[in-house]
Amino acid sequence: MSGVVAPWRASRAPRARRTLAGLTFILPNFIGFAVLTLWPVLVLFYMAFTKWNIFGGSEWVGLDNFARLVGDRSFHKALFNTLYYSALHIPLTLVASLGLALLLNTKLRGMAFFRTVAFFPYITSIVAVAVVWNMLFSPDVGFINQGLRAIGIADPPGWTTSTDWSMPAVIIVGTWREAGYYMLIFLAGLQTVPKELYEAALTDGANTWQRFVHVTLPCIRPTTFFVMVILTIQSLKVFDLVLVMTNGGPGQSTLVLSQFIYNKGFIDNEFGYGSSAAVVLFVIALGATIFQYLANRRTVEL
Amino acid sequence: MYMKNRTKWGTGLAVAACLVLTGCSSTAVTPTPATPEPGATATPTPVPEPVHLKMAAWLLDSTPEFKTLTDAFHEANPYITIDLVEYKAGNDYDTQMIADLAAGSAPDLYILKNLRNFFTYQDGGQLMDVSDVAAEYGGNTKGLSNYQVDGKTYAIPYRQDSWYLFYDKDMFDKAGVAYPDGKWTWDDYAAAADKLQKAIGGGDVYGAYMHRWQSCVQGFANAQAPGADILSGNFDYMKPYYDRVLAMQDSGVQVSFNTSSTNSLTYQSQFGKQKAAMLIMGSWYVAAYLAQVGTGDADKFNWGIAPVPQLDSSTFDNPVTFGDPTAIGINPAIDSKKTDAAKKFLAFIAGQEAAIALAGIGITPAYFDDAVTSTYFALEGVPKDALSQFTFGTHDTKPENPVSSKTAKVQGILGDMHTAIMSESTSVDDAIAEAESRFANEVTD
Repeated sequence: MSGVVAPWRASRAPRARRTLAGLTFILPNFIGFAVLTLWPVLVLFYMAFTKWNIFGGSEWVGLDNFARLVGDRSFHKALFNTLYYSALHIPLTLVASLGLALLLNTKLRGMAFFRTVAFFPYITSIVAVAVVWNMLFSPDVGFINQGLRAIGIADPPGWTTSTDWSMPAVIIVGTWREAGYYMLIFLAGLQTVPKELYEAALTDGANTWQRFVHVTLPCIRPTTFFVMVILTIQSLKVFDLVLVMTNGGPGQSTLVLSQFIYNKGFIDNEFGYGSSAAVVLFVIALGATIFQYLANRRTVEL
Repeated sequence: MYMKNRTKWGTGLAVAACLVLTGCSSTAVTPTPATPEPGATATPTPVPEPVHLKMAAWLLDSTPEFKTLTDAFHEANPYITIDLVEYKAGNDYDTQMIADLAAGSAPDLYILKNLRNFFTYQDGGQLMDVSDVAAEYGGNTKGLSNYQVDGKTYAIPYRQDSWYLFYDKDMFDKAGVAYPDGKWTWDDYAAAADKLQKAIGGGDVYGAYMHRWQSCVQGFANAQAPGADILSGNFDYMKPYYDRVLAMQDSGVQVSFNTSSTNSLTYQSQFGKQKAAMLIMGSWYVAAYLAQVGTGDADKFNWGIAPVPQLDSSTFDNPVTFGDPTAIGINPAIDSKKTDAAKKFLAFIAGQEAAIALAGIGITPAYFDDAVTSTYFALEGVPKDALSQFTFGTHDTKPENPVSSKTAKVQGILGDMHTAIMSESTSVDDAIAEAESRFANEVTD
C-alpha cells in the first residue's frame, strides 16, 4: 500500500538515510581509530620538525632532524637492515604461504588439523617463540647446529650470535611465523578459482606446472596483490620479533628502522628525532605501496 | 519480538559497560591500612591529619626492600601511609615512568634505579628540589653528591650497591684451591678460575661465571683503568679488560657469552646451583641469594664475598669497585599539602633507622656505620668471616654512570660494542674503533 511513492522522494531520502546509517555503523570503530591512531600519526608529522624530550613543550627546528638523519650512520645501518630483511622475507614468505595453501587446498580428511598447525606459529606468544628459537639456534648445543654437524658441515653458522648470520636467523623465524597467516588468505583466494578452468586445461593437455602458471596464478592475482602489499608493509615495520630475539644485536647487525625509532624516543629521549625517522619509514612504505598499486593496474590493463 | 529486542539491547549495553570498566582498572597494590594514632593520651599537640602517598616500585612480590622502607617509616610516623604502585622491572621501568610523568599520572614518589637516566628526569624538571633534606646528611650517607646539579640536590639515595667477588667455599675446598685472600689482581682471578676448572670443571660446571651485561666488563674498566671516562669518546682503556675476558672464555673456564645469551642463563642459577665457583656481581645478590635458599631455588652451601680483582696491588687497601646508588625522588606534580610528608620520608630513608631495617634484609644501604654493619652480618646466612666483613665495609665505589645528557646515548653505543666483542663477531680493536667513530657521529650535543 505504502509502496506507491513519488519517484523523486524514492531516490533522494532513502539514499541519504542509507549513507547516514552506514556512517553510524562505522562510527564507533572510526572514533577509536581517529583518537588512538589517526591523531597521533598527524601529531607525528608535526613532531618530526621539532626537538622534544617529552617533558614540557617542543621546540621547532625545521628540517634539522632530517639533515641529521642523512649523516647518521646508525640510521643508514637501520635502513639497510630493514631493506635486507624485507628483500629476503617477502619472497620467502610469499612462496612458503602459497606453497602451503596449494598443498592444503585438498579435501582430504585431517586437512583442518594441518591448516591449524600451519597457522599456529602466528598466534603463539612472540616472547616464547624468541626464547625457543634462540635455544634452537644456540651455536654450541642448539638443535639446528647439531643437525648441521651431523650432516657433515663442520663449522656451522653462529646464527643469532654472529653479526653475519643474525639477520638470516631472524628472517627464517619471521617466515616460519607468518607463512600460516598468509596461507589462510591464499586459501581463501584459491577457493575462487573455477574448477571448469582446471578441467579445460587438463583436456588441453596441460601438466601441473602449466595449470599452476596459466590458471591458478592469474585467477588469484587480486589475492596475491593484497598479500604482497600487506607483506611489504609488515616487513618494513618489523619490530617485536627482532626486539625479543636479538635486541638489534650482536652489535647493530639486526637493528631495524622501528627499533632505531624506539631507541631514539624511549632510550635517548629524543622524540622529535625519532619522529623524523618514523616519517621516513612512512614515506618508504607509502612509496612501495603506491608502486605496487600502479604495477598491478598496469598488468591488469594489459 | 519487541521484548527480545529490549533484552538484546540490554545485554549489549551491559557487555559494553563491562568492557569499558575492565579497561579502566588500575594496577595499584591494595594499600596497607592506616592506623591513625588515637588521641587517648592527653597531649597538647593535635593529631595530624592522615596523609596518603603513592610510591612507584617494581616486582613487589620478590623485592621486599620497598615494603620494608615504607613499613618502617609508617611505624615511626603512623599518620603517613605510603602505598606502593607496581611498575615494570628492568629497563622497562624507566620507559614506563617517563611516560607516566609526561602524562601526569605518575605517583608522588618514585625510585631512581640508577644514575643512567637521572639526567633525563632532572633535566626534564621531573624531580623536586630536596636540598633542604640533603643538608641534614653528610658523611655517613654515601652517594648523595651524585644527585646534585648546580648546587641543588634532586633525590636522596637509600641504597648504594657495590660489586663483589662471590665465591663458593665448598667448591674451592673440593678443588683444593686456596680461597681469595682479598689481594687478587685480574691475573690471579683468571689463574684461580683455571685451577678450579681443571679440578672440578666439566659438563655444565665451570670455574667462574660472567654475566652478559656490559657493566660486567665495562664497569671495572671505567672504575679501575687510569684515565677512564666514557664521555671522552676514547675507549681504548677497555681493551685489556676485554682481552682478559675473551681469553677466559676461549680457554673454557667460563660459559661463553653466546651460550649464555641463547639459553638465557641467569646468574642466580649459575652460582646458586653451584654451576660456577666464582661470580662477580653486585651486592644486591646477597639478599636475593638468601631469599632463594629459603624457597629452595638455590642450594645451601658455604660461600663468601671478597673484593673484586684489582688492576694492580696499589689499591688492595681500599679496593676499587663500581656501583650505582638507588634513590627516591619527589614528583613535582605532588599535591602541595603532601610535600612535607614526602620530604619527611626522604629524610627517613637516608638515616640510620632505615639503614638498619634494610641491612636486616640483606640490602646494602647508603647510610653506613658500625650499627648497620653489625646488623647486616647478624643476618642468618650472610658469611661472617673477616674477609667478607672487610669487603662489605671497605671499598672505593665509583658510580657506574656519570651524570650527563650524553650518558644514555654513550651507554647505548657501548652496549652494542659489548655484544659485538663478546659474541666474537668482531675483534676488540675493530669494535672499539667502531664505537669511537659512532660516538663522534652520534653523540653531538
